[in-house]
Parts: sequence; C-alpha cells; structure tokens
Amino acid sequence: MTVNSKASPVLLGVASFAVILLLWEAVVRLGWANPFFISEPSAIALSLIQAARSGELRHNLAVSLGEFAVGYGASVVVGVLAGALAGRFRIVEYILDPFLWFLYSAPLIAFYPIFVIWFGLGVPTVIAITFLLSVTQIAASTLSGIQNVNPGLIRAARSFGATERDLLWKVVLPASVPTMIAGLRLGIGRALMGVVVAELFGATAGLGFSIAYYGGLLKTTNMLASLIVIVVLGVVCTQALSAVEAQFDSWRTGPGS
Amino acid sequence: MPGALSSSNARMLISGLAVVVFLAVWEVAPRMGLVDVMYSSQPSRVMAAGLDVLRSSAFLHDVAVSFSEFAIGFPLAIAIGVPLGLLLGMFPVLRYVLDPPIMAIYATPHLALLPILVVWLGIGMESKIAVVFAGGVIPILVNCMAGVRGVERSWVLAARSFSAGKWDVFSKVILPASLPGVILGIRLGVSRAVLGVVVAEMYQSQAGVGNEITRYGSEFRTDYLLFYVLLVSVFGFAATWAVRALEEKLWTAGK
Repeated sequence: MTVNSKASPVLLGVASFAVILLLWEAVVRLGWANPFFISEPSAIALSLIQAARSGELRHNLAVSLGEFAVGYGASVVVGVLAGALAGRFRIVEYILDPFLWFLYSAPLIAFYPIFVIWFGLGVPTVIAITFLLSVTQIAASTLSGIQNVNPGLIRAARSFGATERDLLWKVVLPASVPTMIAGLRLGIGRALMGVVVAELFGATAGLGFSIAYYGGLLKTTNMLASLIVIVVLGVVCTQALSAVEAQFDSWRTGPGS
Repeated sequence: MPGALSSSNARMLISGLAVVVFLAVWEVAPRMGLVDVMYSSQPSRVMAAGLDVLRSSAFLHDVAVSFSEFAIGFPLAIAIGVPLGLLLGMFPVLRYVLDPPIMAIYATPHLALLPILVVWLGIGMESKIAVVFAGGVIPILVNCMAGVRGVERSWVLAARSFSAGKWDVFSKVILPASLPGVILGIRLGVSRAVLGVVVAEMYQSQAGVGNEITRYGSEFRTDYLLFYVLLVSVFGFAATWAVRALEEKLWTAGK
C-alpha cells in the first residue's frame, strides 16, 4: 500500500512527460503544427546527438558550467561572509541594507554593456552578472538566518558560561544554517539565470549563446536542443541542493535536543 | 519605546550616511582621475541625463509601452496561475500529472525562452507580454498550490462534519486559508515579471525602456543607461513593496 502510493506519483510524472513528447511528435507528424516553429522531439534528439558527437555540446556546456562555478562560488563566499558580518554587527547590516535592496530589485542584466567595457566580451562579463544576481540572495538569507536565532537561547548559553566560539558553533549556526541553505538554493536559480541571460547578450560561447545564435538563424530544432539541456541542468542543480538542504534539516532542532 | 525609536533612527541615519558616502566617492573619483568617467559616469551626470530624458517626448511613449506589456502580461499570469494553482492543490491526481513538468519549468531560467518566443511571436509587444506571463505564472501557480496543500486538514474535516457542502468548504475554508500562499506567489512573480519586460525589450524590440537601455549601452552613454536602470529598479521596488503592504494588511485582517 505504501509502496503503491509512493510509486504512483513517480509513475504519473514519467507518464506525463511521455504523453507531452508523444503529443508534440504526433501534432507535427499529422501536419497540425508547423515544425519550423515548434520542431519535434525526434529531430531535437537527433540534433542533441549530433551536437554531442561534434563536441559542440561539450564545449558550450564546459563554458557555461565554468562561468556558473566561478560566479556562484564567489557569490557563496562573499554572500555568506557579508551576511554573517551583517548578522553579527548591526552597523554592517545598516550600511549594506540600501545596497542589497537596490541590487535585489535592479535589472542587473542591464549593466552588461558597462561590464563589457570593463571586463571585455564573454566569460568575465557573464561571471560578473552571475555573481551579482546570486550574491544578494545569499547575503540576505544568511542575514535573516542569523537574525532568526532566538535571543533567549543566546542569553541562556551566555549565562552558563558559553564563549563566543561555543555560541557560534552550538547556538547560532544550528539555528541559522537551514535558512542559509535555502538561500544557497535560491541563489543557484538566480545564478543559472545570470549565466544564461548574460550569454544571450554578451558572449561568444555557452548554452545561452547557442540559443541566441540559432535563434538568429531561425533554427528552432537547435534552439530547443540547447533549451532542453538548460532545463535538465536547472532540475539537476535544484534537486542536488534540495538534497543538501534535507541533510541540514536535522539542524533545525539542533544537536542534542 | 524610546529605545526602539532611537534604534530605527540610527538605522536610517547609518543607511543614509552609507548611501551619501557611496554617492560622494562615485562623484569625486572620476574628478580625481581615479576612474574614467565614460565607464563609471557620476551621480551629477546621471541626474542631468534623467532631467533630459524626462523632458523628451519619447520618454512617455517608452514608459507607456513597457508598462502596458507589464499591465497585460502580469494580470494574465494571475488570472491563469491562481485558478490553476488552486485546482492542482485540491486534486492530487491532477497534481501528480502536472507537477513534474511544472517543476522542470520552475527550475529553468524563464528568460532562456526569450529567443524562441521572439521566433514565435515576433519582435513586437506580444513576445514581451509572453515573457512577463511566463515569468509571473509559474511562481504564482506553485505558491497557490502550496497554499492549498498547507490548509489545516482538521478545518476541512470540521467544516464537513458541520455539513458544509463542497463549495462551502472551498469558499469558506480553503480559499481564505490559502490566501497567504497566493499573495506570496504574486509578490515573487512581480519582480520576475518586471525583469522580464526589461530583458525582453533589451533582447529584441522597437520601443520601451529596455530598448533605450540597449541603445544607450551600445553608444556607451553610461549616464543615460544608469538613469533607466534606476527607473526600472524603483518601479520593481515599488511594485514589490505594494504587494508586501497588501500582504501585511491581509495578515492583520486575518487575525
């Protein structure tokens, strides 16, 4: 019974993807839709295989993933550090606050012409936009995680003679890490968006670039092939961080409680 | 009470001071030759550019184009996202079928759809409306769904045991209780929709704020570019703030 009720959502999910692909293929084969606009799954699969064989896919994937890794990695380091400092020292929070708000609501992609003059076309510009998009989310979540720590717990720990280090490891971190990890997950989404969109505008290689490139040539099949790679990438990244999040969920109650 | 007041005053003071220092450094650094003013611009130049733009007749047209793209696409996202989200939340089978594709789209950067939407709908307003819709509808749908699923099961059972009909349960229990999720989805959708308008216009367009950003960007007129970026940020901030205020009002009304 439990196996059955667990298996049926997965089964229905797989079935729904299969039905979508079948309908898509059928609609084109029956001549109800123009393949110039929506292509068809079989053609997209072929184009993916072709791109994989020619090394085009590997190159684009390597460029995009490299930009993602550097941009997101830097934003994790800077974001967590800035968020932690702002959580520890109120004055840092007040200073950072207006800038975080601006960066959070600004259309950062609009800065790409300036970044292109500063850093040059391609990889460095994409990394800069990726960094800026995800760093605000990570800093804000780290800060709110630390602010969520129950001050009563801190006072209690202090009055039992806890040092600053004890406080950090035994009270502050366990209480704030779950929110922080949630911020890291949201940051991944924003970083991925940064990579793809920055590549649409100011790049010479990468998955986003290849979408824009084939878009210019009106080659729908190749565009959709790159788009599907991006969808898969997004799902894999989000799932991976959700798994990490689940690991740290046990911290919510804190060790020894 | 005076303690709380003075701490919020200190906050304003320090935040304001940080912004003033930032603006001063930005103004002075190019004058001292530390950075090239063509790359960095200056607050005074951005202000001058802003005044110039506000006086021009094209400005109103651009704002009208961008705003109407937002004002058509986003309500459309609400009109479709909210009912669909409520339906998916209430009927598990429907959810099992549609959840995987929705989650896949949710994990994908929606702006990656831009080039294909331009191929489908052209470079006019239609493709921008579609991007705004795509950006707004998914967070709205997902959070409505979560809102319904978060409704306390015992409330539904209690209503039923007092012989409430299906419609009563929906309109008097499920709908009010899932409202926070609905509003949260709308708030998350707003910023994605605003970004969608601007980036779609930057990509391919004939008019609008994003179009101006690309034009001034390619001419390296940083001061004009920054004014438009500021304009969009203020709009995005204001829209998010408005939804948040509505959210808080509903919370207090609910209590």
